[in-house]
Formats: sequence, C-alpha cells, structure tokens
Amino acid sequence: MEYINEVKRALQALAPDAPEAAVEAIFSKPLLNALGFGDMEIAPGFKANNRPSRIADHAARKNVDDGDIFAHTRVNPFLCMEVKGRTETFAKGHKIYTKAAAQLKGYLLGSESRTAKWGILTNSIDIQLFRRHGKVVHPMTPLMPFDDVEKFIGTLKETIHSPKRALVAAIYNNKGGVGKTTTTINLAATLRVLGKKVLIIDFDPNQSDLGDSLNMPPIYGQMLGVLKGADIREVIKPYVFQHPKLKQPIGFDVVLADEEMVTTTNEVELRQQLRWNALQKAIKAVKNDYDYILIDAPPNWRIFSQLALFAADVVLIPARHDNLHSLQNAGTVITQYIPEIQAERGRYGEAGPMALPIFMNNANREAPAQIRLMHEAIAAIIKKGKANGYNLTPFFYPKKTPGKQNLQMIAIPHMAYVSKADFLHVPAAFNYKNVRDQYKLLIKEYFV
Amino acid sequence: MSLSIVGNLMCLPFDDIEPGDPTDAHEYLIQSTANLLGSDRNWVPLIVEEVDVEQYQVVGNSFVYAVAAEAEAKEVWCIIIDPSPESIAMTKALAGELTPKTNLSTASRDEISAALDYLKSLPDKPLKGVNLASAIAGIDEAPGRQYWENLKPIPKLKCGITGGKKLDVLGTIFFLEPEPMPEVITDPAFLELFTATELKAMAKKRKLSGYSKLKKPALIEMLSQA
Repeated sequence: MEYINEVKRALQALAPDAPEAAVEAIFSKPLLNALGFGDMEIAPGFKANNRPSRIADHAARKNVDDGDIFAHTRVNPFLCMEVKGRTETFAKGHKIYTKAAAQLKGYLLGSESRTAKWGILTNSIDIQLFRRHGKVVHPMTPLMPFDDVEKFIGTLKETIHSPKRALVAAIYNNKGGVGKTTTTINLAATLRVLGKKVLIIDFDPNQSDLGDSLNMPPIYGQMLGVLKGADIREVIKPYVFQHPKLKQPIGFDVVLADEEMVTTTNEVELRQQLRWNALQKAIKAVKNDYDYILIDAPPNWRIFSQLALFAADVVLIPARHDNLHSLQNAGTVITQYIPEIQAERGRYGEAGPMALPIFMNNANREAPAQIRLMHEAIAAIIKKGKANGYNLTPFFYPKKTPGKQNLQMIAIPHMAYVSKADFLHVPAAFNYKNVRDQYKLLIKEYFV
Repeated sequence: MSLSIVGNLMCLPFDDIEPGDPTDAHEYLIQSTANLLGSDRNWVPLIVEEVDVEQYQVVGNSFVYAVAAEAEAKEVWCIIIDPSPESIAMTKALAGELTPKTNLSTASRDEISAALDYLKSLPDKPLKGVNLASAIAGIDEAPGRQYWENLKPIPKLKCGITGGKKLDVLGTIFFLEPEPMPEVITDPAFLELFTATELKAMAKKRKLSGYSKLKKPALIEMLSQA
C-alpha cells in the first residue's frame, strides 16, 4: 500500500512533458518497489550484453538468500525495464513505440539476460508487460494507461511473480494442406529430443489426422466437458516412441481430437455453450507442467480455430511457397483474424496472440523463375497489408533489416522421409535424424 | 467485431449473471415453477446484456432469473442483447416489465385514448372519477400541446385531471419532446394558458404599446389580433 502511494506521488510529481531522465529518476524505483522488488533487488543501467547500446534502464530480481544481493551482483535478472519520456508517444503502430519495444526485446534476448522472464515498457503514462520464453518475446498485456493504479499494480505484480512454464503456440493457416499436423508432430518430437516437455492438442475434430499419424484413436464425448470446466488431465494421453537403439522410450503428451464435437454436436451448439476463453481456461491447469503446448488448429476461421488462437501466446503459420493461396491466407491471418482475437482479449486485459514469422513448409528446390514469381506474389501481399495498416515484411522476410536486402525465408525442405513416416504412423523427427535436424533449425530460429 | 456475442443464445454460468430489477411475481409462482424446471433447460431464455468480460446483467425475463435462483441452476440459457439504452428499454417493454411511454407532444387522439384507458384499467384505479371522454378530448384538443415542456398545463384544461396524484400517474405513461415555442402566438385558446405577466412580456417583445394596464382578457384580444 505504502509503495502504491509512492507510485501515485511520482505520477503526480511528473510534469506532462517530463523527459526520459525525469521519468527514470522519479518513477522507475517506486514502480519496481510496488511490483515487489526491494531497493537491493534493483540494478539501474543493466548491461544486457557486451554491446554498449544494449543497456536496459533497469533490471530487477528477488534476492534468493542473505549472501545474494542483485543490486551488487547484477547477474541473472528476472525483469528488464525500459523507460521513456512522457512526450514519447506510445501507440500501437507508432514509430517511437515500435522502436522502444524492439529495444526492450533486444535487452531481453541479450546474453546477460538469459534468465529474464519479463520486460516492462513505460513512459509513465502507458505501460506494457512483455514476456520472454526462450527466444520468443511476446506482449502479455496491451498498452495500458495508469488509471486505476491499485488494481493495475496488483494484477501486474501477481502476473510477474507467478510466471507460467509453457509457451502456448497455435499452428494455424486458414488454408489447408500446408502441413500443420506434420509440423505440430515433428516440432513436438524434436522439442522432446532437445529435452523439453511437450503437450500437443489436436483441435481439428473434423480430420483428427494428428491422432492417426501417431496411431492413436480419437476420443469421444469428453472434450466438451473439459471446455466447460472439467480437468483437462482426464483427456491427456502419453505418446510413447520406442526404438531398439533407444535405451529408454521417449515421447510427449497428447490431447486427441474428440469426434463427438463434430458428429453429434454442431457448431451452433458449441457456440451456445462455449465462451472464447474456453480452451485457454482448460489449458491453464497444466501450463506449469510443460515447456511447450502446441495446438493443431483446423484450416478455417470457425470456432475451433478461434478458441485455439484465443488460447495461444504465439501463432506459427506454415505456408507453401508453391501455393499462392497459402501465402495470401497467411497474410489474412495476420491482418484480420489475429487482430480480431487480440481485440477480444484486450477486454480481458491480455495481449496476444502474436504471429511468428511465416515459414515455408515442404519447400522444393524450385527454379529461379518460380522463386521470382513467389517473391512477386509476396510483394503484392505486403502491399495489400500496408494498405490496411499492417507491415507484413518482417513476417515474410524476418532477416530483412533496413538497408539489408535479405530475402531469406524460414523453410523446411521437402523430405521423402516425412511422408514415409506418415505411413508408418510415427513422427518422422523421431525416426530420421536428417528430419530432426531440419526441425532443430526451425526450433533454434523460433523458440530456443 | 466478428467475435461479438450480441444476439447469441448462450448457456451461461448462473454465477456470472447479476440480477436486474427484481420480479414482483408471487413466491408461490417462483417456487412452483422452480419445481417444474428442476435441472432441465430453461426454454424461455433470460435476457441479459454483457457488462464486462464474463459478467452479465439481467435486462428482461427477471422471473426466469428468480426461478433459476430458486432451482439452484448452475447454468442458464440467455439471449445476449445489444446494450444500447434504446434496446434495453425496448426489451424491458417487450418482456412486459416496463410500461412504455407515449410522446404526448405528438400523440394522436387514438394514442391518448389508449393510454388513458390503460390507466383507467389499472387495479388501483388512479383515474377514479375521471370522465374518460372529456379527458381525451381535453388533452387532444389542448391548444399548443406540441410546445408543452411539462404536464402542468393539463389541470388548467379543466378536463377532470387535477394536479397531484392524477397528474403524477399521467407522468408514468407520457413523456414530452416539445417543439420550440413559436415567436408569435395568436391563438386565443393557447394564449389563455399564459399568465398576465407572461402575456405582457410577449406584448413587449412584439413592440406593442399600451398593454401595461390591460387585464388578461384584453391582453389576449390584443395579442390575438396583432
């Protein structure tokens, strides 16, 4: 309470045009104090890596014992904070804000902040919380004004001090046949090989291909109950992979598709019974049991995809570079569907989901003419996105930076092993090393 | 806003719904209907508005809410309505839980007749002793009704509706959206409704002379001719 009053006093003391230095001097410490960090748990001017530009305004961590004083040791931060002046406009899509957010992301991914879980961006008028999970930095809250300080600090403090273990990723493209299920299974298998604990959810009961790929029969009649509040652990099943060369079986957990959701129950009935956060709520119970929860969402924009995206922190969008519509649909997902979900989640005080760069699945080594056609098609999609106020370039060309024309895309090449494994009903990444290596590259690019 | 749930029929947790205006249904009706409902689906939906995330407020069919509470229902089938004040007023009227008001500034004779007849039919007889025919005629033909800013001119019409309780009850079914008062009034019947002081002010405004010592009838004559 005392700390919250300090924050309020600092907010009042700041002039409407207070520059960064003033906000930093007057506001930073009371805010971090109110968020539960003592004076000896705060380090100003934290070096996120050895580049001089990478100095976060503040870092913070709870001291673990008497001998550990973060203010002195300045190692293993838990949170990084970037403060801006009051005149610097924080608004979605605004240049200053975008730059500040990128700066914070840089600190969170710095070599010295590997342990950091949270990032705070504020100009003392608005504030936003970001979460770091491996290589992923995603917004946890929308940009929010400091209107109800008590309530706001309370929720923020609670969120920060109970970080969840899992990153929830939906694998989705509005277009079918781009390999969502194959991607889900092989990502799960490869993440498992890398020592991560993974749960995959087959949320496409129309096809239930995922279960079939693992030779596991669909479930019947339990999922609706789970989505209405029953414990999801009742429907989690282990997938175990055994191989003569493996000393111990290896595997991950699976929630299989529920056939009843499409046979006896129709979409209208589901919409009548489920609210948008139904899957998000169901997953909550196991978020600390896994490192990654992957949701295989169906190729349409209907209830299952909507619930899946509502539950997700990030959306991984596979596309095929020889399929124009898969590229166009990827653009639609980013400029239309994801913002719809973000707007609804904003009402819950949440941000997300965030789109990850699109990756090209099953990429053949195409002729230069074909590649040129694809880049032209992407240029048209980017132009259309721009007309709607979205910058799609980083989603197609994540390596492209100002002044550097790098059109490299993230891709998984076509591999005969993948379809062969499908017929064997095992994840290709468990069976074949070269498949696993390709997915490892993908995981290193995105997640770890 | 494709994710809007306005217009949907949805099965919502009872605990997320706040009661609205309480129903005046008798305890017997609530209890016996709750016995009928048991743990079944309420086929007559509750009408709610979404006030915040996962928070709803009863707008109409509050009897259903009372019955669901009595039956200890965990979930209630609801229709989520558009939360604009107009839709809420209309829904309450459709549910029969709010008497809609008539715009007396523009009401036709038939509308006035129906409204007064409704009041006459109420069990506590608020218009006891009023001759309906003369009340209807009096109000309908009242001069300058479209300019009234309140219902106070009605007792002056001497049509049986006196100030006090009778006038108050008219306020429950009539509202006014008056037209702006015209610059020049010449209708003697309408002028009759003003006081002598007000009439003198009108005369002054119209730059007439010799009005200051006139009595009301003479003032009216002067203003109606000018």
